[in-house]
Amino acid sequence: MAAYLELENIGKSFGAGSAAETRALADVTLDVAEGEFLAVVGPSGCGKSTLLQIVAALIAPSSGEVRLAGARVTSPPERMVYLFQQYSKSLFPWRTVLDNVAFALEHRKGMTRRAARGRSRRFLEMVGLGDFAERYPWQLSGGMQQRVAIARALAAEPRVLLMDEPFSSVDALTRLELHGLLLDLWEESRFTAVLVTHDVDEAVFLADRVAVLSPRPSRVLRILPTGLPRPRENLATREDPRFLQLRHDLLSMLLERAHG
Amino acid sequence: MASPAALRWPERMLGAAVILAALGAVEAAVRLHLVNPALIPAPSTVAGRVLQIVTSGELYAPLGITLYLLFTAYFAASAMAVAAGLLMGRFRPLYNLLEPLTEVLRPLPKAALLPPLILFLGLGDAMKLAVVGLGVFFPVLVNTVQGVRGVDPVLVDTGRTFRCGRRALLLGIVLPAALPLALAGMRVALGLGLILVVIAEMLAGTGGLGYLIIDMQRSFRVRDMYAWIVILAVLGYALNAVFLMVEQRLIHWALARPD
Repeated sequence: MAAYLELENIGKSFGAGSAAETRALADVTLDVAEGEFLAVVGPSGCGKSTLLQIVAALIAPSSGEVRLAGARVTSPPERMVYLFQQYSKSLFPWRTVLDNVAFALEHRKGMTRRAARGRSRRFLEMVGLGDFAERYPWQLSGGMQQRVAIARALAAEPRVLLMDEPFSSVDALTRLELHGLLLDLWEESRFTAVLVTHDVDEAVFLADRVAVLSPRPSRVLRILPTGLPRPRENLATREDPRFLQLRHDLLSMLLERAHG
Repeated sequence: MASPAALRWPERMLGAAVILAALGAVEAAVRLHLVNPALIPAPSTVAGRVLQIVTSGELYAPLGITLYLLFTAYFAASAMAVAAGLLMGRFRPLYNLLEPLTEVLRPLPKAALLPPLILFLGLGDAMKLAVVGLGVFFPVLVNTVQGVRGVDPVLVDTGRTFRCGRRALLLGIVLPAALPLALAGMRVALGLGLILVVIAEMLAGTGGLGYLIIDMQRSFRVRDMYAWIVILAVLGYALNAVFLMVEQRLIHWALARPD
């Protein structure tokens, strides 16, 4: 399959020229096919989030470039949506749950507020929050808030969904539930997904391929295809010998790297 | 479980009782000739005069003048301060350029500017609007800037990933996120504005509440002077109460949030 989203020799330094210069990313090259689910894992502080923000054009790389469908990305592209780790900070506390979702659509040309709200309701129902439309985000639990954020991301009908550790601050059971929800939604609309995480289980369970980053300054150490059958099942997939093997390989790679 | 409002009731009753007790003490002191009634009239006679001022309609013209001056300066200066605060908070070069000037002008008691303002603008409304406006501008500006700079970058990035324009980012995300602090500044500014309008009227008034208070004092109409002071106190209280109601409507989400 041809590459749809291309990261070519991405490098990023912070505080360039000063004594405190830190190189977060050395040289990252990755290709993602259209409709593919790619996970990026790496030790804490390896610049995973920085990489994802560069892909979304929320920050500029120090070197290298990102291309989407062959075109260079310099500002947040249409239909590429970033799902933040800090869902509670990413939702607007002055907007109701429904209006938070509608935000994804309001800025489209020719879209009225009313039409945006109408379409948003469907996405809220998809994540099981139809009854909470008129509540405010801070009145919901953490897991529900992240569902709102997912509904908002999907309402934009993304062709690329970038996820920055989106499940890292919900409890373990909610996380499994959200994994299932995310995969269902992905099967349905087949956007290209890039997930950054430090949770190896999550990466293997969700993705088609897992890219492993080195500690900073990061480069891609390896890319492993998971080859696990879909649809993935919370119990069966996690007990699949191949799942366990991949998990073992990835963890040993990360642990070895982390301790020299 | 008792609600907080229910718990607060006895305390509020006690607070009201303290006010009544103080008034009662003054009343008793006057009636027992412990104080000079030419300086402190009995609260009951002042109350009678207040009632008369309100029922006779004598109240409305001076109240109108004071409120006109206060509100015109307050809303214009607040709007300018919020707009300037949004820009200063968002654009670093502008902040660096104007912050030192702000810090020099902000702590200056604005009443000190009355003499030069009189030189430039004379004794009319322009001078009074200017001094009230200056007094209102800085607290609102400083709070708005602080609010804007405190907006979580994740909120702004959320706006960018959904491709909302610069205008929508500023007015739809940064402004509401900074509003709780901007409004806190506006509440302080309302009190300051009232102080300044009264001072300006005392110095160069022709009919507002501040003018009447000083005019009654100069004509030895002490009971009237106190009556207008009481009216001013009630006005200050009412303005604050209305402000709190408006604030509750505008930023209920910030006031109700647990964090």
